[in-house]
Amino acid sequence: MGPTAPVIDAGLSKYDPLGRILCFDRFDSTTHGWTELIGNYNGRGDLGTVDEHMRDFRPPQLSSCSFFDVGTHGTLSGNYALKLATRAHRGHTATGIRRLTMAGRGLVRIEAYFAFKAEATVGRELPASVAWDGNRHPSEAQFGAFTVATDICADNGVRYHNVIRYQNTNLAGEMTQQWMYPVVPEPTPRDHQEGKFALPYAADFTAPDPDDWRYFDEPLELCVNEVPTKINWHYLRWDIDTRTRSNVELRLNDRVMDMRDVPVPVYPDRYSTLDNLLNFYFSVRTHADIRNFLFLDSVLISVDW
Amino acid sequence: MTMRSTMTAVLERAALVNDELATEPYELPWAQEARFFVQAHELAGTLELTTEISPDGLTWCPADVPQVRVETPGMTSWLVTGFGQWLRVRCRVSGDEAPAARLRIYLVGKS
Repeated sequence: MGPTAPVIDAGLSKYDPLGRILCFDRFDSTTHGWTELIGNYNGRGDLGTVDEHMRDFRPPQLSSCSFFDVGTHGTLSGNYALKLATRAHRGHTATGIRRLTMAGRGLVRIEAYFAFKAEATVGRELPASVAWDGNRHPSEAQFGAFTVATDICADNGVRYHNVIRYQNTNLAGEMTQQWMYPVVPEPTPRDHQEGKFALPYAADFTAPDPDDWRYFDEPLELCVNEVPTKINWHYLRWDIDTRTRSNVELRLNDRVMDMRDVPVPVYPDRYSTLDNLLNFYFSVRTHADIRNFLFLDSVLISVDW
Repeated sequence: MTMRSTMTAVLERAALVNDELATEPYELPWAQEARFFVQAHELAGTLELTTEISPDGLTWCPADVPQVRVETPGMTSWLVTGFGQWLRVRCRVSGDEAPAARLRIYLVGKS
């Protein structure tokens, strides 16, 4: 046998982790802790007590990214991606959540390679604000938004969410292609129990009122590549600081966005049973009666503590 | 030898079926076998459960699995193998008057 080639971890080398890696999830075996989110329920396990807008976030799937026209597309790192799929119901959201706790405070970095698509329409057409011209395709305007967010609670029950959302279209289906953040914390089941809100099915669980969202940075076109069955993987890197409860920086491919002025709303009241909570979720929301998909090739979470 | 992978998805939690319901497309390309568990919390009439498969998640046909008939509330289960990539179950309830089923549906895949 000849000399051994140097071992290069092709999986890790495409990432840029901080000093301590908490998890590096490739989806060639299981969902690696990314699970469906569901609202809270009573002591009898009666799922009828789950908030209507938090009862149907759909189970994540392991997908080979196969399509009606080309068969199996495959992923960036292997055979399978984690796939979040909405129902074909306007406003419906699918989620995948990962639950950790914090052993320190400081910088936290989440990185991912992802792709997003609306489901292909075959033998039928849906209304869209974009017409097919051989390059552009109605499908690009049939994808709503995807969100990356945290759920963090520490220091005697102080709870907050860092949230970034890429809004591809607004609720009218018009292309917007902008990053957004909410100025209010997510309504919780306890808020509902206390009579502060009651949201309908398919409400936006992260922040239900569109007026509570703000754009940041300039519009950003991503590589949706012409038709609903081509998958191009995008790199996302997002830094937050749990010492200061703040956003730091978002990078999407070659666009770097300073997020230090993007606020992180804190709940006015305190929460129990969540000490050192460190959750992350990805979600995808359709703005039309068509399934929307978010594919995650891999995810890496690292910290500086 | 690597340990086998398994994964459970809850396809429906309390779906009310008065006529027919097909579950959302679910991909299990990695799984050699799968098992549906259908729990009828309430049932008036007869429930017929047909396993369906698809190559693209868009167009469906029956799998090579016998139809399952349920006449009373409770849990029923069946095995599916050699199904390809996508799976769903079509649930049809029928009866003389006001047929209805309240269903929780699990799909378990195993490599």
